[in-house]
Amino acid sequence: MGVPFETLLPYAIMMFGITGGALTKVKNMQNGGKRPRHSIDAWDRQMMERDRRLTGWLRGQTDNVKAPAGFELNNPWKVEPLIQ
Amino acid sequence: MTSREPRFNQHVLIDTTPLPDHIPKVQEIGASSAPLLSASYFIGARCKAYNDDYMQCKTEANGRGELDCMREGRKVTRCAASVLEDINNSCLTYFRKHWECLENNNQQLWQCRRFEGKLNNCVFEKLGLEKKIPGAPENEVQVHLRKRQIFADSIRDQIPWPEAVEKARDERDFGKAQ
Repeated sequence: MGVPFETLLPYAIMMFGITGGALTKVKNMQNGGKRPRHSIDAWDRQMMERDRRLTGWLRGQTDNVKAPAGFELNNPWKVEPLIQ
Repeated sequence: MTSREPRFNQHVLIDTTPLPDHIPKVQEIGASSAPLLSASYFIGARCKAYNDDYMQCKTEANGRGELDCMREGRKVTRCAASVLEDINNSCLTYFRKHWECLENNNQQLWQCRRFEGKLNNCVFEKLGLEKKIPGAPENEVQVHLRKRQIFADSIRDQIPWPEAVEKARDERDFGKAQ
C-alpha cells in the first residue's frame, strides 16, 4: 500500500518550522541583531552605502552630530571602462 | 537625460584630495540613516528656509548646482547639525529608542508610532519643534497622530491599548523615570 501521507505531515511541519527558525536566526546574525531590510530602493541603497562609509558596517548606525575625520573624503567614484 | 548602455563597474576611485582652502570648512553630519529619518521632520521644522533656498538654488543652477550652491549647502549642514545636537542634548533616550525601533522595522515610520509620540512630545516641550507633514490636507488628522495605524505589522502596534497596558509597556521600555 505504501506510507499514508498523514504520517508524514508532522515531519513536513517540523521541517518547515526548523528551516524557518534557522533562517531567521542566520539572517538576524547577518544583520547585526536586527531584522533584515526588504524592498530596498535606490534611496535606501544610497543611505545604506553612506552608513557603511560612516560606521564600517552596512547596518551600523550612529547618532553623532559630527562625522569622523576623513568621512568627507571617502566617497567612492564608480569607474567605468572606456567606451571605444 | 539621454539613454546609454548600462555598463557594469568593478573599480572604484576614492579621491582623497581635500577641498581648496578658500572654501569654508563645515563638518559633515555624522548621523546615519535611522537617526536622520527620525529627526528629519524636526530638521524640516527648524531649517525649512535654508532647505528651500538650497533646493531652489540647485533647480535654477541647471546642472552646476554642486559647484554653485555650496554656500546654501553649508547653511543646510550647519542648521541640521544644530537640530541634531539639540535633540541629542535634550531627548536622547526617546530619540535612541525611536531610531532603534525604526532600524528594526525596515525604517518604516508607521511601525514605531509609540516611540515617535514620546519623542515628539519631548522635542516639543524642550525645543519647540513640531512635526508637520508638508502637503497634508488641512481637514484631516495627520497620519502620525491617528489612533489606528492600519499598516503596522502586529496588532500590538496597530490599535491604542488601555491605559494600564500602555503604562506597563512604557515602564518596561523607558524605565521608571519618565
